[in-house]
Amino acid sequence: MPVRQLTEAVVNRIAAGEVVERPASVVKELVENALDAGASRIEILTDGGGRRLIRVTDDGAGMTRADLDLAVERHATSKLADDDLLTIRTLGFRGEALPSIGAVARLTITTRHADEPHAWTISVDAGEKSRVKPAALTRGTSVEVRDLFYATPARLKFLKSDRTEAEAVRDVMRRLAMARPEIAFTLAGEERMPVTWAAALPGAPGRLARLGDVLGSEFRANAVEIDIERDALRIEGYAALPTLTRANSLGQYLFVNGRPVRDKLLAGAVRGAYADYLPRDRHPLAAIFVTLDSRDVDVNVHPAKTEVRFRDAGLVRAVIVRALQEALLRGARRSATTGGSATVSALRPAPSLPSPASGGGWGGGRGGWDWRSSPARLPTSAAFASAGLAEAAQSVFDTGGPQADTRPVAADSAPELVDRPLGAARAQLHDTYIVAQTRDGLVIVDQHAAHERLVYERLKAALDRDGVARQILLIPEIVELDEADIERLVARADALARYGLVIEPFGPGAVAVRETPSMLGEIDAQRLMRDLAEHMAEWDDGLPLERRLMHVAATMACYGSVRAGRRLKPEEMNALLREMEATPNSGQCNHGRPTYVELKLSDIERLFGRR
Amino acid sequence: MKVTVERAELLKSLGHVHRVVERRNTIPILANVLIRGDRSKLELKATDLDLEVVETIAADVAPGGSTTVPAHMLYEIVRKLPEGAQIVLEGSGDRAVLTIRAGRSRFTLQTLPDSDFPDLAAGDMTHKFTLAAADLKRLIEKTQFAISTEETRYYLNGIYLHIAASGNTAMLRAVATDGHRLAQVELPLPAGAEGMPGIIVPRKTVGEVQRLIEDADAEVAVELSQGKIRFAIGAVTLTSKLIDGTFPDYARVIPLGNDKELVVDKAEFEAAVDRVSTVSSERGRAVKLSLSAGRLVLSVTNPDSGSATEELEIEYDADPLDIGFNSRYLLDIAGQLEGEAAVLKLADPGSPTLIQDRGGASALYVLMPMRV
Repeated sequence: MPVRQLTEAVVNRIAAGEVVERPASVVKELVENALDAGASRIEILTDGGGRRLIRVTDDGAGMTRADLDLAVERHATSKLADDDLLTIRTLGFRGEALPSIGAVARLTITTRHADEPHAWTISVDAGEKSRVKPAALTRGTSVEVRDLFYATPARLKFLKSDRTEAEAVRDVMRRLAMARPEIAFTLAGEERMPVTWAAALPGAPGRLARLGDVLGSEFRANAVEIDIERDALRIEGYAALPTLTRANSLGQYLFVNGRPVRDKLLAGAVRGAYADYLPRDRHPLAAIFVTLDSRDVDVNVHPAKTEVRFRDAGLVRAVIVRALQEALLRGARRSATTGGSATVSALRPAPSLPSPASGGGWGGGRGGWDWRSSPARLPTSAAFASAGLAEAAQSVFDTGGPQADTRPVAADSAPELVDRPLGAARAQLHDTYIVAQTRDGLVIVDQHAAHERLVYERLKAALDRDGVARQILLIPEIVELDEADIERLVARADALARYGLVIEPFGPGAVAVRETPSMLGEIDAQRLMRDLAEHMAEWDDGLPLERRLMHVAATMACYGSVRAGRRLKPEEMNALLREMEATPNSGQCNHGRPTYVELKLSDIERLFGRR
Repeated sequence: MKVTVERAELLKSLGHVHRVVERRNTIPILANVLIRGDRSKLELKATDLDLEVVETIAADVAPGGSTTVPAHMLYEIVRKLPEGAQIVLEGSGDRAVLTIRAGRSRFTLQTLPDSDFPDLAAGDMTHKFTLAAADLKRLIEKTQFAISTEETRYYLNGIYLHIAASGNTAMLRAVATDGHRLAQVELPLPAGAEGMPGIIVPRKTVGEVQRLIEDADAEVAVELSQGKIRFAIGAVTLTSKLIDGTFPDYARVIPLGNDKELVVDKAEFEAAVDRVSTVSSERGRAVKLSLSAGRLVLSVTNPDSGSATEELEIEYDADPLDIGFNSRYLLDIAGQLEGEAAVLKLADPGSPTLIQDRGGASALYVLMPMRV
């Protein structure tokens, strides 16, 4: 399709804006061009954080001589076939990138189209366009940007250090690489070791392989697949088990129709879906790919196209939450391998057993500094006992009873127990941990965390089943709020009533709280309503109320559960294991810690050098 | 200062004042009790800036003076001294300590200067009247349970004392509510209280007043103004700030037109509610009342554990009705009723219910049902 000048109307519709903000945005534009040109292999080379040089080489379709001449003109593009901004299928469409880059840097494009006898090259130097000249290139396109912003010194001053800019380039590339696993990328530069992401198979396995390459193999091992379809909306991708989290939500990636975007919709949906598993300040890793009719999403919000607008954001959010919840339920009983592998590495054989009294200094037998015996570490029991608090004297009275209850378990008569996912309970250690044997390994269960989760799930199921009993207020509480907040709250009044909170509008600028959940007792309705209104403005759900109810449930669960330090009978241990198998989400406690870890026999054999 | 005092006297008095002192304080001197010896009197004073308790007891004082020492520690010391001991409190002139001697025991406590001790300047009291201690105690006891603990609605964190007309007589009325239930008690307006403003007495204050009333036959002198109230109970004077707020128009929520009247034996009813609520869970304490002619069925269903029902004979001849209440609230109110028969006046499962003693109009309770 030939490059042609867009009509005036379309040019005006495309809001003008700055496309080129920093080297990373140049890389993004050029790589997106390469992807739109159907490349299967893209190489990116940067120097000086992209300030001195950016070179993007692809094996895509290339351009003819005439196209090349027009491509560097403003608002010239091959990508908007029928001037229809509503059905955008390419990453680019504005026709702004090349001329914008050409205006502020030394741009050289060399390209070979299949119909041309040889390659052509053109260069633009601070907006000065050269003639199209013949050049040598076998196929595809190579775009070279030198001395970015040399024509606009003011902009140059705003660039951060080379390192920071290089990191931004890397981040852009990570997102693009995740979006297109079937394309091979090579990212090289003076500041880094070349990174190559080999082309992966199409479909889910390839995507997981690429995500593992980009986010780390830990993610690959601890991710659950998401795949859900509602009408024309499809959500795919991978989300981490609740045991693999970060302190911020930067590890959450959203792609809409193959385009990496940043949208707080994702953070909100992830928070909602993981609310049961994680404390507020932990964020799971996730990469979520949304595919929907291009008419239902507006990508022309921002020149850099990192933001999108959905026609029905509520639906997209709800489907993402549903997809995540389903995936988590599926993966819930998969014990985190992070726990397992951490256990294995903690069990590495020591050359000699550490002598208990070597309190401080150099670690025994390790031949190097051992942080475990550093004085900065809290004193261990032996060192503490000698600290003069008379524990040493009292230890005389310690009968030294066995710390592990290894009485043979009567359940040996039921050998099929070892075929269950969590196996047959064999012993209880330190009155806290249950050790169970499975067919191909062993499982260690934290009895308190596990039981707490079971009780919590039971309470939650009961709340869902029976609803929440509501206390009608003698004196309704009138809470003054913004009109917009009231509208939002009243629109969701039905959902709130399900959780026991009944509200109704009360004149302009206020709502009346008529009934409250009786299990919360006397509540600060003002604050609850404000929290709800604020939360709804941002996330469009009633999470604060749900969270409060669940907090009460969780507190009750904590009181009502078997504590660490209680000796369990073999029957009790097995019953706990069986109930964990039957309960969804029993793999993590209410705070996102694992309730059990699993060690495969192969891991254990490795420890002893049998493999 | 040197004071010699009987242990029992001092202990009783410290028992009165030390309770006002909060366990944790940001201002150090608030943890202290002020001791002032003057001629043959020993004055003890403690405050939390909102509430001040002063008590004067007989003692041998020579010479006089004053100082402050940690209240809870002094109380514990005196409590642990043997019965019948003579205690000598002696302040040294130049060092900031107080020596406590009794028998062979000797304690030295650090002091803070009495000049720093805050004074809850009472100002002018506009109204003065006396109440029988039993009456005051009743006003408090019958309403105290309904005081709100939710601090954001501070104006509900106390008992609302005000003048109300009952028929042609002016009454002194006490009302408390937490938004779920309401309690109202009244008695004839005592002389001197005419024209008094409506005041909200804080929860902590009413609790202390109630504890200080030991002799029900005594008289309590009450003085009040717009911002403060003072109770003189025997040798103890308690002065308190009032809650600066507007009590809601509670009269609107008292359902005087409820026509479905139920009469039940109070003791039976209370015991039955207590019994059936045994199966209720922590998160829902609802008890269902099913009324039909002459019969009341109380039932609790807990999907986790089971259910309970109990049938009572009642006087009731209106249409059948099912209504749910928080069992704890029902028990709280039943515990306040004095007569043998309780009267519940109901309208429908979503409207307030009025609960009273049969024939006794001086106290009434309003309870909002639960939706279950």
